[in-house]
Amino acid sequence: MSAGDGFEVEFVDRSERSARFVVRGLTPALANGIRRAMIADVPTFSVDHLRVVENSSVMFDEMIGLRLGLVPLTTPLDDFEVGDTVTLALDVSGPATATSGDIETSDGMVRPADDDVPIIELKENQRLELEAEAVLESGKGHAKQQGGVAVGYRHLQRTELVGDADEFGDDGPQIVRGVVEEGAADAAVADATDGDLVLADAFGNDLRERYPDKEVRVEDVPGAFAFHVESDGSFSVEELVLRAAESVGSRAVELRDAVAV
Amino acid sequence: MMVPVRCFTCGSVVSRHWGEFQERAREGDEDPSEVLDDLGVERHCCRRMLVSHRDLVDVVAPYQ
Repeated sequence: MSAGDGFEVEFVDRSERSARFVVRGLTPALANGIRRAMIADVPTFSVDHLRVVENSSVMFDEMIGLRLGLVPLTTPLDDFEVGDTVTLALDVSGPATATSGDIETSDGMVRPADDDVPIIELKENQRLELEAEAVLESGKGHAKQQGGVAVGYRHLQRTELVGDADEFGDDGPQIVRGVVEEGAADAAVADATDGDLVLADAFGNDLRERYPDKEVRVEDVPGAFAFHVESDGSFSVEELVLRAAESVGSRAVELRDAVAV
Repeated sequence: MMVPVRCFTCGSVVSRHWGEFQERAREGDEDPSEVLDDLGVERHCCRRMLVSHRDLVDVVAPYQ
């Protein structure tokens, strides 16, 4: 196995904001590099600076600022560069709950990804009015700029049939997580063919459920990694993964150019 | 005071679900665990954010 022969990517589960996929032909270092790039290298917009006009709510300006910073903002990465800012405004009078949906934006492309994030509950005679600058930065500087949520990977495991279960053996659960590769299709209760990628959730993460009364062994598949990626809504998972891979690639090019004679 | 915007551990935006969770599991009599499953709050780091939260805005409101 070498990382230069091209990669094979197979999606197991895919939606706008979360995905599971298996990549083959990776080294552990490269898999981790992509994970780290998803967390720290792909920039997102996030509120970084406030001009508070009026705040008579029960929270201090700084606390409001923190909460606004954590609201995910949609980030069209093709149209902005790191360091660009967009101005947002919020003006709510109580009694009401100020939510992310009340935020006005100066640029329609950058707006709260969800409209139902509560900022602060305002009582009678309380008012919150402010202007905010959202800045495009990477997660290296502050966790609020991370686009990826709960990004992780594990080695892909393959099930192998050993034989019938020992009738008087230990009867503990055999737990696996994430995605497994089918290698004992004949013994599975579900319809399966060898080489299928199966979500462990589908059989309650317990191999005994899938292979009743059989002894099954799991082994790591060399060079195969099962990723789990979620986005906070700033952009799609696809965009996050592609940008992360791009970032790793551009660093490699930078290194090659730097050491070239 | 207000429910935290994101999960402290993983960063998923959990505060979106607070309103419904409060309505169904706190004020209503549904099982919190089933409500969380329903809302798609799967990881236990995110679940504890909602389960262990108590709104204090009403308590501090008179002391502005």
